[in-house]
Formats: sequence, structure tokens, C-alpha cells
Amino acid sequence: MKDTSTPTGGTAQQGVPAGSRFSRRHLPWLAGFVALLLLPWATPNAYHHYILNIILINVILAVGLNIVKGFAGQVTVGHIALAAVGAYASAVFAAKFGLPFWVALPAATLFTGMIGALVGIPSFRLEGAYLALATLGLAESVRVFIGVTDYIGAAIGFSDIPPPYFFGRSVVDHVAYYYIVMPLALVGIYFSFCILRSDIGRSFKALREDPLAAAACGVNVRKYKLLAFTISALYAGCAGSLQAHMAPGFLHPNSYTITEMVTLLLMVVLGGLGHIWGGVVGAVIVTIIYDLTRDYYQYQMAIFGTVIVLTVLYMPRGIGGLIDNYFATRRFVAIRKAKANAA
Amino acid sequence: MLLEVKALSKRFGGLVAVNNVDLVIREGEVRGIIGPNGSGKSTLFNLISGVYQAEPGGQIVFAGEDIAALQPHEIARRGVARTFQLLRIFTQMTVLENLLIGYHPHIVYSSAVAAIGAAKVWAEERRLRDEMMELLGYVGLTEYAEMPAGELSIGQRRLLALGRAMAMRPKLLMLDEPAAGLSPVNVDKLLTTVLELKKRFGLTVIVIEHILKVVMESCETVTVLEHGEKIAEGAPAAIKNDHRVIEAYLGKEMDDAEVRAFLKAS
Amino acid sequence: MRILSVGKCLLFASAMVLALSVVPGSASAQGTVRIGVTLRMLIENGFKYGQMTADELNEVNKSGGINGQKIEVILLDDECKPDKGVANANRFIHQNKVHLIIGSTCSSVTLPLVDIVTKEEVPEIVPHSTNSSITQKGSAWVFRTSVSERYYAAVHAKYLAENAGKKVAYLFTNDGAAISFVRDYKKYMQETYNVEPAYEAQMQETDLDFRAHLLKIKSLNPDVLAIGGQIDAIARIAQQSYEIGIPAKVRRVSASAASNAPVPELAGDAVKGLIFAAAFSCTDEREIAKKFVKMVQEKYKVRCPDHDFSQAYETAQIVKLALSKAKLKLTDASLAEDRKAIRDALASIQNYQGLASGPINFCADPTPQCRDGNRTGILVEYTKGGKDYEMRVLARVGFDPDFGLPKK
Repeated sequence: MKDTSTPTGGTAQQGVPAGSRFSRRHLPWLAGFVALLLLPWATPNAYHHYILNIILINVILAVGLNIVKGFAGQVTVGHIALAAVGAYASAVFAAKFGLPFWVALPAATLFTGMIGALVGIPSFRLEGAYLALATLGLAESVRVFIGVTDYIGAAIGFSDIPPPYFFGRSVVDHVAYYYIVMPLALVGIYFSFCILRSDIGRSFKALREDPLAAAACGVNVRKYKLLAFTISALYAGCAGSLQAHMAPGFLHPNSYTITEMVTLLLMVVLGGLGHIWGGVVGAVIVTIIYDLTRDYYQYQMAIFGTVIVLTVLYMPRGIGGLIDNYFATRRFVAIRKAKANAA
Repeated sequence: MLLEVKALSKRFGGLVAVNNVDLVIREGEVRGIIGPNGSGKSTLFNLISGVYQAEPGGQIVFAGEDIAALQPHEIARRGVARTFQLLRIFTQMTVLENLLIGYHPHIVYSSAVAAIGAAKVWAEERRLRDEMMELLGYVGLTEYAEMPAGELSIGQRRLLALGRAMAMRPKLLMLDEPAAGLSPVNVDKLLTTVLELKKRFGLTVIVIEHILKVVMESCETVTVLEHGEKIAEGAPAAIKNDHRVIEAYLGKEMDDAEVRAFLKAS
Repeated sequence: MRILSVGKCLLFASAMVLALSVVPGSASAQGTVRIGVTLRMLIENGFKYGQMTADELNEVNKSGGINGQKIEVILLDDECKPDKGVANANRFIHQNKVHLIIGSTCSSVTLPLVDIVTKEEVPEIVPHSTNSSITQKGSAWVFRTSVSERYYAAVHAKYLAENAGKKVAYLFTNDGAAISFVRDYKKYMQETYNVEPAYEAQMQETDLDFRAHLLKIKSLNPDVLAIGGQIDAIARIAQQSYEIGIPAKVRRVSASAASNAPVPELAGDAVKGLIFAAAFSCTDEREIAKKFVKMVQEKYKVRCPDHDFSQAYETAQIVKLALSKAKLKLTDASLAEDRKAIRDALASIQNYQGLASGPINFCADPTPQCRDGNRTGILVEYTKGGKDYEMRVLARVGFDPDFGLPKK
């Protein structure tokens, strides 16, 4: 299935009138939205609503990471630090400058996007493990900076970040917050789809595979690297902001360590690096497994380490890859059948 | 003049890869570049396409503009397409996607519009697919459109590389050993494809080739390089008899069966 | 094809979430008191703190429970990470429907927990965190059995200013407890004696080499070297301070994390003369303390239980005492009522004499005066390092409830 859409030829939809094409394109999203709207009623208690919010925030993070790492092939370990930047920026905007959540969220998202562009600059000259080291260094310095800056709570933590207000009512309830997080997550997924299915996504994949050949095809490699870092940072910033304003509105640098980054990587690797659904599937599964194994905290790290190793060994393209293979096999079988019939 | 190269040089440390080369390519011409291994043919391509920066003093004028200081993607966007000796097709992408990447310089919608998934983006993408499918037809890869390019055979990969360069709608097409490693049948097939495309799209072509048959049959003018210097230029027939060319090839490994055949034939 | 797959994947995602929702959750067995314990457990002895707390509470079930009511303990690790602690608390409150939360170790985890339990109206008892602001948030639902930093800091400051000198060099890492330890110490010296720090430097929790700072400190020739940090940092700084030749007559004083057993084991002889404030020392000669130490030695194989052990133990005892006083219905409908009853029972505990060096007193007002129940600090000095380390109690200092609070 890869990320291309139409089955052989691209002419399959030729006869479809424009209006029905539009609805066919948007109907699944609408259906998904309605399903997600109703989801809180299907879950028994507020803890599940809380976990839903965590899942969706992780989805936003993982989708962003998948864009820069899976599609553009830039090995970054700094994504979690960008989430921290978004979270603290949003917290400062809201708690210190008194901006409402609805302003702080986009402001923090844009701010993180700008920081993301800065983080992307080393990628002009560095690749692979060296880029990973550079981004790791940047990520750690963000954490250290937070840890020593009294203005944002230093190592004691940034507390009393105001919740969003909706028509004068504060949104501290997990269900209410879900209705803020969910549309944002869905819109985030939708944007990622549009980006990755368009020429931008193709250019990302081209520069992941071969920057020189991409340049020879007219792809401005630096611009697209920066674009990938910036887009993923926008996702991280949005997710960070959502973390900050979720009850009880408390942030601490300990929540943005390399362990969290590895968990995030696990989501993307398990879901399928460079697969359009990779981030979503991975984030949902990992967050749920993480929650289900909460009681077995002694073994949690061992479980997750094993899953990473096994995935990389036996399922290098993740769950997304498995699904792709399934569809590809089916398509080949169909083609063969068609040929046999024709003959 | 489509391309005018003046006093172009490139040094790698002490090694002079290209030395003071002048080259004039007329519009619509098919130019062959030959020379022994290490004579600077590919370096010349890399200089023109911006992969390497030329030494100061050299000039590359393409369609009236000096492109010597431009980045590779800027040069590509001005209409210079090239293939690589090692092909460098995107093996993890599908065949169709490889072509679509070639079309990248001509994409009309902006990133922001793409992000919100505007209807015109999808309309454009659909139109593109059809256009690229047509191009795939020219290079004879229609049925592999949805296959990952990594699964193609070497001959098909060469055709794909050619197709990807063509998707850029170039003014100048530079082919780096397009026939290397192909069977004689496939060489003929490739040759016909290139000439057909040239005719159809009014291309100017520069081709580096080791298989001399290709050069002799398809090129109007041939340039011969040795040790980074231009030693001869002229019609294929004249080149065959140029004593410096014969010397250059004689100076090379004598066990190269093809060179011997070439010399015998001349 | 694409359209199909969007739909399928959304369905898939929804299915996953639904799978989550059918996970056996709300185990609301009636007639049982449910207690959620969240602590930092993946460290030396951390697991044993948690296990001991659970064991002590579960013990009552053997003899038929308290007033015939059994206790169910849910034990989770928060890794000293606020997000994990918050997730644990949410699970305790909404899924497990606990009547009481015990937690946590790190102040940075306890701080957000205070906000949650206040909003959800669940009583919380803090066994280990020392940050002063925990009880200053004005929550009616929070109690603390550990000794607040505001007392600790004064124990050192008072003793050292009178017995060692007032020229203090501060070297500390950026964890919450270390920062407030240094801040409070400095404040005491400034307010009481109008003395500024001789030297002050903050480093990372992960730093290994403190010698550059220690060399500068050596040249200043201070009376006291104040070391803030967690276990590793304290051990390293103590060790490196001798390596670069700061003389033994300079008193080394450190944050309460120094009481943890790994410190003398890691630092070896460098720990000799290191003093720290604590709530408990295993060299305590009181009968109740000796009994407790023997129990921990036998059951948990720890030779010298530190004050995190004693405070976890004490917390469990206080909870049991409160439960015996509270009138609980323990039905699904009475959850809120029972939570309140437990809170009130905790608030009524007065003059509890346990392992703490002084009595523990709670009261109903949501103020630090009422909720920092343990107001007695002791000053402990290591007399020998290594595996078989030894220490002694230097001083025992009690405070009045208002001490160390911001003046109005």
C-alpha cells in the first residue's frame, strides 16, 4: 500500500464526479470524528478519559516525529525536548503573561516551530548517528536549562498553569479536556496525511533516500530538511502545550528525559517508520500497553526494551509495514488472477 | 547557444580532474563525451549540475545565465536534468513516485495549501499521475508503476532513471553512461527511447558513454577528454581518425576488448 | 484503496481504545478500604519502602481487618516523574476508587498530587517529600509525616552556626530537595546572622566531577561545606572534597538524602564527619526504634534502615490508627463520605508517639502548622564509612509549628 493511493494507473477515479470524490475523501474523517466524539461514553470512568487524552497527546507527538524521522529520515533525538519547549512556552504565556489558553496554544506551537527550525540547522552538515548526537545534546541542554531556571520553576517544577477557559468555565475535567485534545489530534493527523501524500511528503522521502539525487531532481534539500524539522516541531509544540494545561497544570523537566524520547521512538518504530499511520498506531498501542503494565513496573523497562529489539529484528517496518505487506500481497494475487483470467 | 562552458577547471588536492575545458552545446544537439576512465567526464557533469564547485575563473553559461555558483537544485530548476552513473533512483519509493519527484520543480501548489489538503492539490496530483503514467509509457514501465523501484531489474532501473530525468521537462538532458551493464538488445532499446524522446520534446542531450556504438550512432558531435583536458572535438567519423584520440586510447589498458575493436574498426 | 484504509485504521484505533475500556478496572469490592501507594521505587531500597508500606497495611487483614474492614493496597511506581505520579493518582482515584493515597517520594511528584487530591477530595498522606510548599498550598486533604525542609534547614543552621562557624560554602545539584535545602539554609543564615554565602555553585544531577568548584571552595577556607543533592552527588562531593584536600575540620553538612544507606557505602571514609538532618536514625536507643530496626533487618535485609523506612512505617501506622477511628460505610455510594471521614480521622491524630524523634500532631486547618505533623529533626553524624558504616545522633531539635513559615 505504501503511501500512494490509487491502484495501478491513477485512472480509477477518473469517472467519479467531483462532488462524490470530495465526500469520499472527507467522509472517513467525518466518521472518525463522530466515533471519537462518542468515545468517552464507551469508556467507563474518568481515568480512561485521562488515558485517552494521554494517548492523543502521544499521537500528536509521534505523528510529528514520524514526519521528521520516518519520512525525511533525519535521525533526531531532540523531539521530546521540543515538546518541553512547547509545554514551558505555553505555561509561561499563560501563567506569566496572563494569555488565555486559546492564544497560548498557537503561540507556543509557533514558537516551538521556530525552535525546531533552529534544531534543524545542524542537519545541513550532519547525518545519522552524528545528527542524533547533536540533537541529543540540544535536547539535554533544554532540560538542563529548565532545571536551573527559577523563573520557570527550575527543578521544583512549574505549577499552577491555568487550565483552558471555555465561555468562562475552566476545563479541568478530563472529558472536557478530551474535547479540546481530540479535535486537535484529528486535525494534526489530517494535516500530516495531506502533507505526506502531497509533493512535500515525496520530497521528504526523496531526501531520506538520497539527498544528492533529490537535489538533482530540483529538491531544495536544506529547505525541506528545515521544513521537516519545523513541521515536526509544530506538532511537538502543540502536544507540549496540551500537556502543560492539562490538570493539574504542572510541568517538570523529569518528564522530558531520554527515557521518554525512547518511548516516543518505540511508538514510531513499532507503528512503522515512514508509514503514514505509523505514529498513530504506535502511539495508541504503546500508551495502552504502558498503562496496562503499570502494575508490573519492575519489568516495564525490560518489556519495552525487548519489544524494541524484537521489532527491529523481525518487523523492521513496524506494524504499518505488516499491513502494507498484507495489502501488497493481496494486490499481487489480484493482478495475477486478472492476468490468468485474461489469458 | 544553450550551454557554454568556458575555462572550466576542477582540482581535488593535487589532482587536476578537469583542466581548462571549453564546451559549446547548441540547442537541439546530441553531444557525446568520451574518454578513458578518469579523464574527467563525470566530473564535468558534476560541475555543470552543481554537485562540485568549479575553480574560480571558470564559467558555465546556461541559457544566457551563469550557473557556476548555483546549488544543484537551482540548476535543476533551470532545466538541467541528469542521470547518474550509479543511477541513484529512489529504491524505496514506487516507480511512479520516482517520476513524480522528477516533476518536483514544476509543482504549482504551495506547502501551506498542501498541508490543508485543498481540493486543487488533489486535482493537480491526479492530473500529474496521469501525465506521469503517460511518460512511464514512453520508457515502457507502465505495468510497474506501483512497484517499489528497488524491485526493478538493472535495465528497467536505467529506463526509470531516464524517465525521472525526463519528468523534469528539461531543456538539457545529461546522461552519464546510460547503457552501462545493459545487454545489446537493451542498449538498442534505450537508444531508440532516448532519440524518440529527444525528437518529441525537442531536447538537447549530452551523453557520456563507454559503449562507443552508442556514441557513434546517436551523436552529431563528439568531444574527447583525456586527463581532464579536451583533446579533440568533431563529427564521429573525424574523431575515429584523430591520432590523439587513438593515442589516448592506446595509452590505456590494451586488454579492453572494446577499445581494440574500436581501433580495428577505425 | 486509500479511503478504505483511512476508515480501517480509524476503526482499528477506536478498537484499541475500546479494548482499553474493557480492562478490569473499578475493582470496587464493597467493605474494603482501598489505599493507593505511589512512590519512587526503582532505586536502592525504593522497592522495600513500598513493600513495607503495603505489608504493614495488609497485616491487619490477617486479624480480620480494622473494625472488621479489610484493607486493599495498590502499589505503583512513579519513578520520581510528575507525569507518572499524576497518572498513578488519576488511576487510584477514578479507576481503583481508593479511599486514601499515600505518596510520594520526590517533592516534584507530590506537588501536583496535592492539586489533584484537593480537586477530587481524596485524603493524601505524604511519607517522604520534604519541600516546604507542599503543605503551604492550603489543601485540606494533605497530611505529611516526613519532616519539612523548613525544620531541617534550621537544625543544621542553628547547630552549625553555634558550633562550627558562619562561613558557609554551598555546592548543590539541581534537584528539588537540594535546591530548597540550600535556599532555606542561606535564608536562615541571612535572617538570623546577616551572613552571606562564602561560595555558591549549582550543578547537574548527572555531573560527576565537582573538583573545579571544590578547589575554589578550598581556597576560601570556609567553616562549613553545605552539600545539596541526591545520593550519588552527595557521595561524590564528599569524596572529592577530601581528594582535593579540604581539611576535615571543615564541617560537611548535606541534604537529608545523605541518610540513605548507599551514601556511606559509596563515599567510604569520606563520609566520616558528614552530618545531616533526619527524622530517624537507626542508632536511636529508644525501645520502639530498636524493635523497628530489628524488624527491618530481619524482614527486609537492611542493616540500618534510614528515615525513609521509618517514615514509611510511621505513615502506615498512622493510617491504621486513623482507620480505626473513622466510621466508614464502604459502599459504592459512600465513597466521598468515607474519604472525608478518613481525612477527619487523620486530622484528629494528636500526640502520636512513634519512631519520629518527637510527637506527631495533625489538626483540621489546611495550614502547614496543622499538616506538617512531624516537627522534630535530629542531627546525625557519620562516624565510619563503608559497608559497615556507623553514625550517632548529634542533636535533637524540636520546633514550634510556626517556625520557618513566610511572615505575613
